[in-house]
Amino acid sequence: MLDLGLLAFTQPWLLATLIGLPLIWFLLRVTPPAPKTLAFPAVRLLLGLDPPEETPARTPLWLILLRMLIILLIIFGLAQPLINPAAQLPGNGPVVLVIDNGWAAAKNWDGKVNAMVEVIDRAEREDRAVVLLRTAKRSPESRADLSPLLPAGEARELAQGIQPHPWQVDRLAALETLESQDLEGSAYIVWLSDGLADADSNAFAERLQAFGDVTVLQDQAGALAKIVRKPGDDGLELVVPVERASSEGIENLTLTALAEGGTIVAREAVAFQSGDKTAELRLRLPTELRNRVTQLSLESESSAAATYLLDESSRRRPVGLVTAGSAQQSQPLLSEVYYLQRALEPYSEVRQGSIDELLARKLAVLALPDIGNLTTDESDRLGNWVESGGLLLRFAGPRMAADNDDDLLPVRLRGGDRILGGALTWDSPATLSDFAAGTPFAGLDIAGEVTVERQVLAEPSLELGEKTWARLSDGTPLITADPRDKGWVVLVHTTANTDWSNLALSGLFVDMLRRIVAVSQGVADGNANSIPLPPLEVMNGFGRLVSPGASVMPLPAATQPETADTPDTAAPAGGVAVDPNHPPGFYGEDAKQRIAHNLANHLPALEPLGVISGVEAASYSKSEEIDLKPWLLLAALILALADMLLSLFMRGLVRPQMPSAATAIAVSLGIASGGLLAGDARAQSLVDEGRALEATLETRLAFVLTGAERVDGISEAGLQGLTRILRRRTSVEAGAPLGVNIERDELAFFPLLYWPITTDQRSPSPDAVRKLNDYLNNGGTILFDLRDPSATARIQGQQSQTNLALQRLTSDVNIPSLEPVPPEHVLRKSFYLMQEFPGRYAGGNLWIETSESQANDGVARVIVGSNDWAGAWAITDLGRPILPVVPGKEAQREMAYRFGVNLVMYALTGNYKADQVHIPFILERLGQ
Amino acid sequence: MATTVAQGVHGRRRVGQGETFWQFRRYETGDSPQSIDWRQSAKSDRVFVREMEWEAAQSVWIWRDTSPSMSWTSSPELPEKRRRADILALALSVLLIRGGEFVTFLGSDLRPSNGKTTLERLAKVIDRGDRENNGLPPVLPLPRFAQVVMIGDFLSPLDEIEDAARSYAARGVKGHLLQVLDPAEELLPYDGRTRFEGLEGEQSWLLSRVESVREPYRKRFKAQCEGLGEIARRLDWGYSAHRTDKSPNTALLALYLAMTQDRGR
Repeated sequence: MLDLGLLAFTQPWLLATLIGLPLIWFLLRVTPPAPKTLAFPAVRLLLGLDPPEETPARTPLWLILLRMLIILLIIFGLAQPLINPAAQLPGNGPVVLVIDNGWAAAKNWDGKVNAMVEVIDRAEREDRAVVLLRTAKRSPESRADLSPLLPAGEARELAQGIQPHPWQVDRLAALETLESQDLEGSAYIVWLSDGLADADSNAFAERLQAFGDVTVLQDQAGALAKIVRKPGDDGLELVVPVERASSEGIENLTLTALAEGGTIVAREAVAFQSGDKTAELRLRLPTELRNRVTQLSLESESSAAATYLLDESSRRRPVGLVTAGSAQQSQPLLSEVYYLQRALEPYSEVRQGSIDELLARKLAVLALPDIGNLTTDESDRLGNWVESGGLLLRFAGPRMAADNDDDLLPVRLRGGDRILGGALTWDSPATLSDFAAGTPFAGLDIAGEVTVERQVLAEPSLELGEKTWARLSDGTPLITADPRDKGWVVLVHTTANTDWSNLALSGLFVDMLRRIVAVSQGVADGNANSIPLPPLEVMNGFGRLVSPGASVMPLPAATQPETADTPDTAAPAGGVAVDPNHPPGFYGEDAKQRIAHNLANHLPALEPLGVISGVEAASYSKSEEIDLKPWLLLAALILALADMLLSLFMRGLVRPQMPSAATAIAVSLGIASGGLLAGDARAQSLVDEGRALEATLETRLAFVLTGAERVDGISEAGLQGLTRILRRRTSVEAGAPLGVNIERDELAFFPLLYWPITTDQRSPSPDAVRKLNDYLNNGGTILFDLRDPSATARIQGQQSQTNLALQRLTSDVNIPSLEPVPPEHVLRKSFYLMQEFPGRYAGGNLWIETSESQANDGVARVIVGSNDWAGAWAITDLGRPILPVVPGKEAQREMAYRFGVNLVMYALTGNYKADQVHIPFILERLGQ
Repeated sequence: MATTVAQGVHGRRRVGQGETFWQFRRYETGDSPQSIDWRQSAKSDRVFVREMEWEAAQSVWIWRDTSPSMSWTSSPELPEKRRRADILALALSVLLIRGGEFVTFLGSDLRPSNGKTTLERLAKVIDRGDRENNGLPPVLPLPRFAQVVMIGDFLSPLDEIEDAARSYAARGVKGHLLQVLDPAEELLPYDGRTRFEGLEGEQSWLLSRVESVREPYRKRFKAQCEGLGEIARRLDWGYSAHRTDKSPNTALLALYLAMTQDRGR
């Protein structure tokens, strides 16, 4: 390596080839470009002709300089110059890269890989071996990933293949493997850390220094990993705690709630205040959406801990609603189920079904309206369920009043029911009394209008007061509750519909049910199935769910990966740790029954690594070193392409006047083509102006260019012939005819447009159709010529090729209704008196716009015929006819010319010949 | 084309080139003003044209240039000059035979005839694709009053062409020169450093910049064409030029009209 301070050459010996440049100069100088060879019959006429100025037989100087520059660029490029070259690496032994590839490293992983490659590049230049040490285990059995001493090339490939893992690093274990390896000489150690401290990070750094100089790379404080902790639920909102490593500064993040399949359900901002390490996001979602959420993840934080997976246990408390068969469905608006459903829905997930169906799945609360007696089996199962943590919410009613020897009641009931405010009682319906402090309803506002007309009464007993959660104004209990082991039994002493009370109609009912549901324990989670759960989807190091690899083990049975009500995140006591065999993710048989296994529950509070004494610290920023090799070679390539184009141009193989080629050259050379294009546009407008002047300074006949060369040639020759006749016989002194491209050219200049129809003409674009319609509506006349004697009799209906072509071409044009030229039409007498309108062919019908339409002062806009008039009119420059006319002789050609004269007069003078001035003469001609 | 020609070609007893008066007819558009018979026209209000009887033709000898320079085209879209010349020669033969003329190809050893098999034999001659190196017609003794039609590119030196034509004219043979050219020969649409090589063993010529000699070349080319026309005029022959990018119909029609109407006046 040749170091010149600011600039260094990696391969300085290549510069020696610069000596060869003068030789190349000489070679380039003497070789003239080879001529192309052409056979040419008229070469005799060329003999002796010499260009006025002699082209130098040698290559021009600027071209030689260009080629020398290309060679220079290639030589310098291959010598690999570096701007701001990095300093030498310390030490003389191998370079050791210690890579934290645990979960926290996933953020800015590209930067880490770049840093690895950079260090390896420098090691390569100094020809030193590289050792890669990964601190996250690949599997629980292996201690750490340590590569042997590798040449830099292999190490680079290996480094680019390293991926972060979604579990924690074990640095001391990694260090032990490094210590067991024999490193020759004093090593240079680069620790690409994830920026997080753990219990042994300081000890690790100290022991690393035994090998040689250590540099620690870590991210800025704000760029360290962040965690989404287990979300809580307060019945209404989902509370998501978010944690970061450093407490400095204000940070704004975005948290997304994703449903199955990655659809975004909610997206909310969450802000860390300065000095806080944690923040909370309260997410308020409708139940439907809320229960669809399967992932909470921080945007732009791609690590396994920044995504929290939700399973059944995190959903809203499920409430089972027992429906007692079809009888209630006959009057759905009066049934208790309907009122309960409406009252429970806002704050919980309601499922309906029979008791058996409901108990098959996990439930927090089971609401049991008055459905009469339970079977022994049912009451046993309910009893077990309550004792294991369920909340049974019962409602009274006529059936309960009639038969009350049920032990799933919080209090003993008296037989029969009490009627207040009935026809035979003195009492008025009772109202609610205030909720006592200490009951779940404390603090709820009593709406005055709630009245209870009937209720069931509890037997008085000593515990009745404690068991009572709500009373009526006369002191009788309305809601009683009794804890059973881990669960509760709650009884509402009136019905859940409006039969006995209007409680079910009040907003209070909704709040009370919400409080009751909040009392329940929620759903116990964990693998209750007592069989190991196979992995369903696991996270990769970047927090994305992927299908599990072969090394992932099932989640063991009978242990709970997360305890539901003790979010004891600081000490991951029981449960399966997150390790290579059990990466975070979903475990279970299918999506309904899966269990979430989250990394965040097993992580201690985050601490930044901070400054470590005796170790050089650096960040993952990119180095200042710039390798000029690719740029120099690219420049050489571009110049070489330019040189090739220039030589092609000089040899005449590329025509300079080809605009597309010129544009291509300009683009390929990257020359700003703005000026060129502006010039082009100006030229275009000049052309347009020139054409407009050309078309308007004289009256001109025009024909539509069909694209078929032969047809266009005949059209032009035909109109030339007609123009000549007009000049000779009439006062119309028209200029040479013009071809019109209906796509491009302005039509407004021409009084008459001759349009020969060919079958392969392209249909006009919408733009052209608009122009044609404008033309027709503002005074233009178009003569469509089908040029086909067979396409005569009818235009509509008969399907000859030219007819079809005409229909296709004019399908969007505003063609008025047509009729055969009536006997008295102006076209028959505008100059000559005519009965027939022959062209090259005779006999075809001529169709013209009906005289009813009064547009354009009564001049027909559209004339359609098939006689190929241009063919009859066409003459050579010498005035000889080009095409024969059939079947007549020259007389027919004469008639064709007369038709042309009539047509032009008609188009130019309009309907004035329709006046009566010719009547006497016409009468005379008719012999009357 | 066929209808135009079929109108007139019924036999000898009709209007055409000849020495004897046939009829007066009304002047029509397209007639040459020189053909107006002033004496007759002065007698009435109308304008009359004097027409002669088409005298029986002796025989027409068609010569095609078969030198290598004819087997050349500047672009794949255009036919070779030779092919175009063959088509014109054959089409002219068809027209002439229909008109009752005796036709043969010069140098084909076939006797002039207008029999049914004549066309077939002529086509076979073309099919043989003979080549010769000289771009000029051989001098053969033709009967007096025969007509000769020469179709070729006529890029040889003018005096050679004149010698060849004059040797026929000296025998009283009427003739017509049809020059078949490729557009590139007229326009020289080349650029850059180019070496031009002849097809008939001419000297090759290297030009460093073709575009700079385009004007002088065109002048020379024009001089060649005009010189050819001058030769024809001096010999009282017809001359027309045809480019392969144009339709052969026009050339054929002009040639035919020139042979049947304007000649001999």
